[in-house]
Amino acid sequence: MPSTLEKIRILGENSKYDICASTASSRIDKYPKLFGDTNKWIGATANAGICHSYTPDGRCMSLFKTLYTNKCIYNCKYCFSQNCKQRLSFTPEEYARTFMKLYSMNVVEGIFISSGVCGSADDTTEEMLEAVRLLRFKYHFQGYIHFKCLPGVSQHLLKEAICLSDRISVNTEASTKEHLAEIAEQKDFMNDIVTRQRWLKQIRIRHNEETLKVMKDWRQDNHLKFQEKMIKDRREDGYKKFRWDGAPILNGGQTTQFVVGAAEHETDWDLLKRIDWQYRQIDLRRAYFSSFIPIAGTPLANKVAAPLAREHRLYQSDWLLRIYHYKLNDLKEVLTEEGNLPSGDPKIHFARQYFKEHGLVDPNQASHQELLRVPGIGPISAKRIINLRAQKFKFKRREDLKSIGVVLKRADPYLIINGRNQTTLQDFFNPDESKISQGGI
Amino acid sequence: MKKSGNCQDPLKVIGRAKGYSRNELIMNLPRHAKFTPNLIEQIEKLPEVHLRNSGSPMAKKLIRMMREISTETYRAIQFTRTEINNKGVLFGVVMLKHRVLDLVLKYFHKRWPSCIICLYNEHTHKTGIINEKGIIRVVKISLKEVVQEISRTRPNIPYFEDIQFSGEQIFETLYNSQIITERENPRYFKKMIPNYCYELPGMRNGVEKRFISRNKKLNEFL
Repeated sequence: MPSTLEKIRILGENSKYDICASTASSRIDKYPKLFGDTNKWIGATANAGICHSYTPDGRCMSLFKTLYTNKCIYNCKYCFSQNCKQRLSFTPEEYARTFMKLYSMNVVEGIFISSGVCGSADDTTEEMLEAVRLLRFKYHFQGYIHFKCLPGVSQHLLKEAICLSDRISVNTEASTKEHLAEIAEQKDFMNDIVTRQRWLKQIRIRHNEETLKVMKDWRQDNHLKFQEKMIKDRREDGYKKFRWDGAPILNGGQTTQFVVGAAEHETDWDLLKRIDWQYRQIDLRRAYFSSFIPIAGTPLANKVAAPLAREHRLYQSDWLLRIYHYKLNDLKEVLTEEGNLPSGDPKIHFARQYFKEHGLVDPNQASHQELLRVPGIGPISAKRIINLRAQKFKFKRREDLKSIGVVLKRADPYLIINGRNQTTLQDFFNPDESKISQGGI
Repeated sequence: MKKSGNCQDPLKVIGRAKGYSRNELIMNLPRHAKFTPNLIEQIEKLPEVHLRNSGSPMAKKLIRMMREISTETYRAIQFTRTEINNKGVLFGVVMLKHRVLDLVLKYFHKRWPSCIICLYNEHTHKTGIINEKGIIRVVKISLKEVVQEISRTRPNIPYFEDIQFSGEQIFETLYNSQIITERENPRYFKKMIPNYCYELPGMRNGVEKRFISRNKKLNEFL
């Protein structure tokens, strides 16, 4: 009988390539207690999360991240557990107890519960849920739980998982059916993954609406009206307008993960198209990218590892789509001929092309959207610029922008302040070759 | 040089941006170990724009002091390692130079509202206690004695009895299992856990320390 330590060692190692952020959940204290009105409850969630430790690559290690079991009916070619000879499972009680011990030591902040598919997805999910139920109702744990939805799981189990977790995720792994078939031939892209993501969206919306109805019976305040707006409102491009749902549970929303570089001809464009679709159609909160690393003993052991820089560029592009409100076609313009992102910040690549065509930006006149396209201006500084303008403030010095948080060394080449542009030395000497100064000086 | 016609300071126009407001400074600076009442008088005399403008020497000093307070609090929240006994008493050791013990106690109280929390401050040799109602007391008694005294009158709590085993090895095993050698990045790691953090009571014998000891200086080897 393997010890708990042995299980943590093996199942922890099997899940180390799974990516999760620290506790990204905010609950509102004024809601009634979620898991019974007991005074024994333990744990809390923090908006930005708290990192209690870091691994040697600098990643925050704030969650108890192990597989529930590494017994799996699938044989995905990239998967670490393919190479693992020992097949182990936690018991629900063991899992819950171990986590509570770690939580009492203040070394973890929450749980990331994932698993291989042992027997059927429903059986394994049922066991995972049992562990979560023990945590919520026996140990009265009200902290953060990220639940991984297994491919092919039934709808009624997803409903329960949603009621018990802060975040739920389905691993998409690849951008299309063909690419998924290349690395995980047993998984059905449409049925196992996309259908489950759609279900999650529907269940979440229904759950949030029902909660809202209960909340309205309980009390009436402005926050509830705002919450109603949060559930429905969308941006022009179909993305959700508000990050949070305002719901007392599953505030972390639905996420997904891709293995970058495992499928042979999968390009960054394929991945970007897929996440754009997921943001619009299934209300994805965010996507995670994991660079493929070949693991000895797996069918892809001889394949070259995907560069970590590629993962980084994808995160930057994802940020542009989600936070900076870029359109997917904007990003298409910066792609290389092969359909991959070039080296260097995609925002700078895009700005070089965009401002060459449209001319430079005057912060006293530019729209919010235009300001967001300037490197060195983020959503917060763009908002501050707009607020200042609303109060009839005129930007006449570069220092005015600097004092509200604009990074001038990046923004300077694209801005006109008081009729002047602070150009680069290279542009000054070779104005004809310059990509930027042709824009509007 | 022609003077700009725009005499308003952008920070003043939007009300709040970078830096701290006068109220925030007055409320929080007394927590700093080197705080003197003169400082408050100086703050009250200065206009808010000067306080917020990180260019002025006074503002630089104030911002540094505020940062020292918040960093110490956050590091204590991150890296304090605690234990819980079967009576529902959570205890641990901290090293706080500034007067932020109450903030750290409140953090633990929010997570363990049904427990009594005792934190021993190595710097002042005092133990801070917060009870279930959120009332804080500071006593000059050792942590062991305080925990024993409080536990004496409290009943056993079954679900805390379940977790009365050593967690050190569990955490070490979990930590080691999460390392991806291909992605190792010592510089970033050092940025996330700076050297001084290894002096904190919870981190002195922590598993993280092993990874910095790999790059020892020659003197340390000898």
